[in-house]
Amino acid sequence: MPLHPGQTKTDLVCGMTVLGLARVVTGTYRGKTYQFCSEQCLTRFRKNPKKYFGPPLLELWNVWKIFKTGGAETQALRGFDLHVWEGDFVAIIGASGSGKSTVLNMIGLLDRPTKGQMFVNGRDMNALAEDDRARLRSRMFGFVFQQYNLIPWLSAYENVILPLIFSDRTVDRKKVEREFDQFGIKQRMTHRPHELSGGEQQRTALLRALANDPEIILGDEPTGNLDSVTGAKILERLIDLNKREKKTLIIVTHDAAIADLADQIIAVKDGKSVQNHQAHRRALTH
Amino acid sequence: MIANFFRLVFRGLRYRSLRSWLTVLGIVIGIMLVVVILAIGNGVQHVIQGQLQMFGSDLVIIYPGKENSPLIGFIAGQKFREQDLTALEKIDGVGFVLATNQGVATVEYRGEKQSTMLHAENWKHYIEILEKSQGIRLKQGRYPTGDDVDEVVVGSKFMSSLFRTPVHIGDEITVKSKHFKVVGFFSDQGEASHNSAIFLSLNQFNILNNSRGASTAIVKVRTGYDLKTVAQEIKFQLGKQDVVRDFAVITPDKINQIVGNVLSVIELMLMIIALVSLLVGGVGIMNTMYTSVLERTKQIGVMKAIGATDEAVLTLFLIEAGMIGIVGGLLGILLGLLSAYGIGAIAASQGVRGLFDIASVDYFGLFALIVFTFIVGVVAGYFPARAGAKLEPAEALRYE
Repeated sequence: MPLHPGQTKTDLVCGMTVLGLARVVTGTYRGKTYQFCSEQCLTRFRKNPKKYFGPPLLELWNVWKIFKTGGAETQALRGFDLHVWEGDFVAIIGASGSGKSTVLNMIGLLDRPTKGQMFVNGRDMNALAEDDRARLRSRMFGFVFQQYNLIPWLSAYENVILPLIFSDRTVDRKKVEREFDQFGIKQRMTHRPHELSGGEQQRTALLRALANDPEIILGDEPTGNLDSVTGAKILERLIDLNKREKKTLIIVTHDAAIADLADQIIAVKDGKSVQNHQAHRRALTH
Repeated sequence: MIANFFRLVFRGLRYRSLRSWLTVLGIVIGIMLVVVILAIGNGVQHVIQGQLQMFGSDLVIIYPGKENSPLIGFIAGQKFREQDLTALEKIDGVGFVLATNQGVATVEYRGEKQSTMLHAENWKHYIEILEKSQGIRLKQGRYPTGDDVDEVVVGSKFMSSLFRTPVHIGDEITVKSKHFKVVGFFSDQGEASHNSAIFLSLNQFNILNNSRGASTAIVKVRTGYDLKTVAQEIKFQLGKQDVVRDFAVITPDKINQIVGNVLSVIELMLMIIALVSLLVGGVGIMNTMYTSVLERTKQIGVMKAIGATDEAVLTLFLIEAGMIGIVGGLLGILLGLLSAYGIGAIAASQGVRGLFDIASVDYFGLFALIVFTFIVGVVAGYFPARAGAKLEPAEALRYE
């Protein structure tokens, strides 16, 4: 884990730079004072201080992402910092266009930063070749999208085993069938996505995300297209995976109610993280 | 893994079945052409060789014009003097010389007029060539009794179907206002123009056309003499006359070779056309694959998000393009063989037999064609596939 220049000015828990913040909270550990962006981070630090001196599972440090379309430049991320700890449920919130989906793409290795660094288990991701990133992606991350993003010409079953095919693992049909059964959609296994309801599609997408038994589940508004009852069921499953199977869960959401269930809320505004309760409210309402 | 990839591709192709089949069609047409050319090309050669064998292996043919362009001499209407030709009979090894003429004439039978070929040879030697060298016999009737009687022999089709009313032996026909009696007809000779032709003596022909001499001559070589040596001697001897400056003296082998050359040129031309159409088929694959990559940009993003490497995406698209190529190749071969069979059947009904024979199809060539179409598919699919594989996952996912 490289010690970068901003380390001492960094909130150890969420990774945010505290320098220049209007209001910080402080806590002491073994005679040394540490600054945190919010009560939330301080409380978490106090519970298990040792944990936060080790390397985070994921770290984004001063990440910039600039999109160039035609002659125009859009700065989607402007020096974004983030720590995600193993087994956490992290909610990334923010208004439309704040850059929260870009953050999720960075975390999931779907995009490369224009500037800045990203570490997974202390490993520098910028140094990885595209194919190594693809392999790491299939092993570590499971994606659940708002639009489900199932492959339309494949059956639900084939969609679910796709990650196994790409990582060249053997497909245990019985096991996959059991999982479909547990999700209550066994009878829909041979159907194509357009023959499934939104809830069924999202459950299929979740099964696909879990196919390679990833450490981290990434959800981009996973309940955004579902009615409240179906959405709640999907969310329940996701949280269950986080609590029971200790999978790290990172969800991008608009929904304050979902964010309130998270261990850690990261608010994104104008491509930067803003971490205090007032900022949360502002990020959600603006 | 690769078996699974094939299954995935197959599902995708079926999902877009109309488009997939249209792309396949592009390849089918090219391959079909190639197969028809290969199958019929061989057949044409066989048919022509068969016809040449009808000449007989002990004959040398003389005609005006250059060896490689016999038609020009004919069109120019150059003719040998009969005495120059008969003089050749003095050459050692020459049995006899048969002077011949050909022409087209309008024939009238019971008020109905038809155009047909006239073959003119004096009968005594002609009968010998027909029966001994070419194995052709009269089916019914007899040969004319001499070269100056108004009698003719005709082909089998002339009797049965050239006119609305079938002709019978003993009937009278009119050629250029001269009356002839049909005294016999030949059995089917396998060639349409012969089957509906009129065979008459050279004397009668020259009277009809108010002409002299002969346009070609057939020389019968005695057994035990070398055809080539005799042909050379004929050439030397005939070189002394100055009526026809350019003339060719050729043996059946030589004709075979000339026809073979002409056919190869035609075959080459057709092959170029077929290859161009294959190229067009390849461009079709490329077009479909580019559209396909564009259309599936989002799915490429999804596949990459769930762990597909660039290589996996590339492989998927290449398999797809290759499959289109192979299916196009297989169908093209099948349809090509069917078309060749159809053409063969039609030709046979017109009297040209043996144009297509399934047993003589070059199966190794067909296999090579399938390999070729697979390669065309893969090459055409490579650039679109690479474009798809190189997409950034996040960028592909954003694509709507």
